[in-house]
Amino acid sequence: MTLTSKDTGRRVRGAPGAAGSKPPGGRAKPSGGTRGQGLVAHIFLLPWMIGMIGVTAGPLIASAVLAFTDYDLLSPPQFIGLDNFVRMAGDERFWAAVRVTLVYVLVSVPLQLGFALFLAVVLDKGLRGLSLYRSAFYLPSLLGGSVAIAILWRQIFGENGLVNHVLGWFGIELGSWLQDPSLALSTLVVLNVWTFGSPMVIFLAGLRQIPEELYEASMIDGAGRVRRFVSITIPLLTPIIFLNLILQMISAFQAFTQAHVVSGGSGGPLDSTLFYTLYIYQRGFVNFDMGYASAMAWVLLLVIAAATAANFIVSRRWVYYGDE
Amino acid sequence: MSDLTRRSFLTWTGVGALSVAAMSLAGCGPSASGGDGSLRFAWWGGSDRQRAYLEALDAFTAEHPEIQVAPEFGDYDAYQERMTTQMAARDVPDVFWIPSPAVLTYREAGLYRDLEGAPGLDLSAFTEEQVESFRLAGTLDTLPKSIFSPVLRYNTNFLEDEGVTLPDQLDWDNLAEFLVDYSANNADGRKGTAYGPYHDMPFESFLRQRGEDLWTEDGTLGASVDGVAAWIDWWEKLRRAGATTSVSEQDGIEPAWSQVGDKVLVTFANSNHIVDDAQAFPDYVFDQRDVPAAEDAAAGYHFTYYSRFAMYSGVPDDRVEAAATLMSFNLNSPELLSLVGLSAGAPPNTELLDQYEPDATPDEQKVIAITREINETEQRPRFEAPAGSGSWRDLMIRELEEVTLGEKTVPDAAASFVEAVEGEIAGA
Repeated sequence: MTLTSKDTGRRVRGAPGAAGSKPPGGRAKPSGGTRGQGLVAHIFLLPWMIGMIGVTAGPLIASAVLAFTDYDLLSPPQFIGLDNFVRMAGDERFWAAVRVTLVYVLVSVPLQLGFALFLAVVLDKGLRGLSLYRSAFYLPSLLGGSVAIAILWRQIFGENGLVNHVLGWFGIELGSWLQDPSLALSTLVVLNVWTFGSPMVIFLAGLRQIPEELYEASMIDGAGRVRRFVSITIPLLTPIIFLNLILQMISAFQAFTQAHVVSGGSGGPLDSTLFYTLYIYQRGFVNFDMGYASAMAWVLLLVIAAATAANFIVSRRWVYYGDE
Repeated sequence: MSDLTRRSFLTWTGVGALSVAAMSLAGCGPSASGGDGSLRFAWWGGSDRQRAYLEALDAFTAEHPEIQVAPEFGDYDAYQERMTTQMAARDVPDVFWIPSPAVLTYREAGLYRDLEGAPGLDLSAFTEEQVESFRLAGTLDTLPKSIFSPVLRYNTNFLEDEGVTLPDQLDWDNLAEFLVDYSANNADGRKGTAYGPYHDMPFESFLRQRGEDLWTEDGTLGASVDGVAAWIDWWEKLRRAGATTSVSEQDGIEPAWSQVGDKVLVTFANSNHIVDDAQAFPDYVFDQRDVPAAEDAAAGYHFTYYSRFAMYSGVPDDRVEAAATLMSFNLNSPELLSLVGLSAGAPPNTELLDQYEPDATPDEQKVIAITREINETEQRPRFEAPAGSGSWRDLMIRELEEVTLGEKTVPDAAASFVEAVEGEIAGA
């Protein structure tokens, strides 16, 4: 039976799954019931597995092969060894795309997570109409990657858009943000931060797993709000922070739609919004340079894998799972 | 079922996945026709054009009940992307429109079927000379579905407001002077024009007036560095004199018409664009005329652009007649023209155009007038964009960004543009 605090719905000590609880014993032989659950799990997995093998695996393997070829979509691919990878080293636009993508990941992901955590903490205070706020804040996550929102962004950050209108009240006169190479990327960072709903909901779920009595005990000991946040909330939330970090980092590395629509597919001005995936698209579908595009896609996969692995290694130092 | 092990689960998953893959592959084999035996017809445009052509295809089916047509429609960019993947998969529609930068690219990919003597293809409305002009390098494997030319479009209300008229003999110098003067003196803060050196058709006309071509017969870039620099320079002088909207104001090098249409006096455009563009600003009346040209412009610089369509080479012999009948309907049907109008250009079939004229809207009358005017001019041959040149406008836009942001001089940008385009063509 799951026990919850009457006011906040927060779990209290002794509830199954609360931080610090462990499954009893080691790995036991599955009972009949467990086998039945396994069957259900397999059935739920089946559509994904069929999709993976039937739809995704083929192109995945094909792109791995094409990465070593010169393939223009019109004539048969020609094997060229590592030439595509060597070519990247001397491709200025490739490096521009790497630079833009790294800045985007390093700036937008921490900002987005920070904002999401802030709002999750605010919403965790047992506000009336919590579910309404939660839905409202989640909405941008559903819309943020859409073409409609990207077009809206063009309007908001245009020369006569909402942002410049507001800045005008303070005597700040700016042109179109999207046509200024020093500002264009920041609009896409803001767009990504705005889609904070998804990590926020996960943070909210994590906050509700923190046992209430820890806060009560610390309050009796005289800890203030900041102290409670730093010494209880953050440490117990680190697994959730880590999960969100990984999810959002991978998503940011693969950002495409916003840049494609906001820059009209060019990555401009002056390649300032040339995301890596946008450059892959340009090489593959505009220049019919599919071998090179495939090689770039595999480099991205390896970079994401390496960044994820590095995060997992570093996480041993800062992520607290409660049972350690 | 309760004995399902991980091994058997994976086995059945594999079987299921392979079935999905097999079913998918069966549906995208080399056969071009639709799964139900219907002809696939692909075109691009906005939702109005989509609707109009769907009605036209219904009319075609009513006239030829034995031929069913499966429509494949997309926005211009989406259309090209889909064609690229269809081309790679050899799953191309039976009859399809050809985007202008892709005419020779698609040909190099072997997408076109030779239409010479194709049963069901009715070219009787065209003279032998016209049919000859449709051929590419002597082969009749594409046909013009519509024609248009570069024009200078202007807002007649704005001219009237200021009590001014465009010079009768319009050349590049007096137009520039007029636009600078208009921008400086009109009461409403309007600009002479939008910053528009990215426009392909007036650029090509500008080059032809200098005796150059955009593309040569042997598939190279015909524009010289000087020619490109002169074109950009003409626009830069206007921009610096405040006679164009700024790049910030028009939100990019390539502005949307809806963004600048009520802010500028003149616009370079294709002769057919007035049909849709005028509807975006119903309070104004637009008109159009031939592009400016110096008195010493090279002979035969005028050109009529053929927007082409083709039959896929993979259409089986027993379906060629049906596909050719559909192409003939596009070329010759008054009913189709009455439904789709001239938004995609005038029909190359002049008899059909004459027949349609009394029913044309006022803006379509303007398309017809300029089409006839330019048809009567001397025109030296023009050549299609070679394979590999498909991104030339993107390359131009990048160089224009460099120039307008002060990162490059005009001559440097022109040289970079020529080098980049030549590199793309060589690498194709």
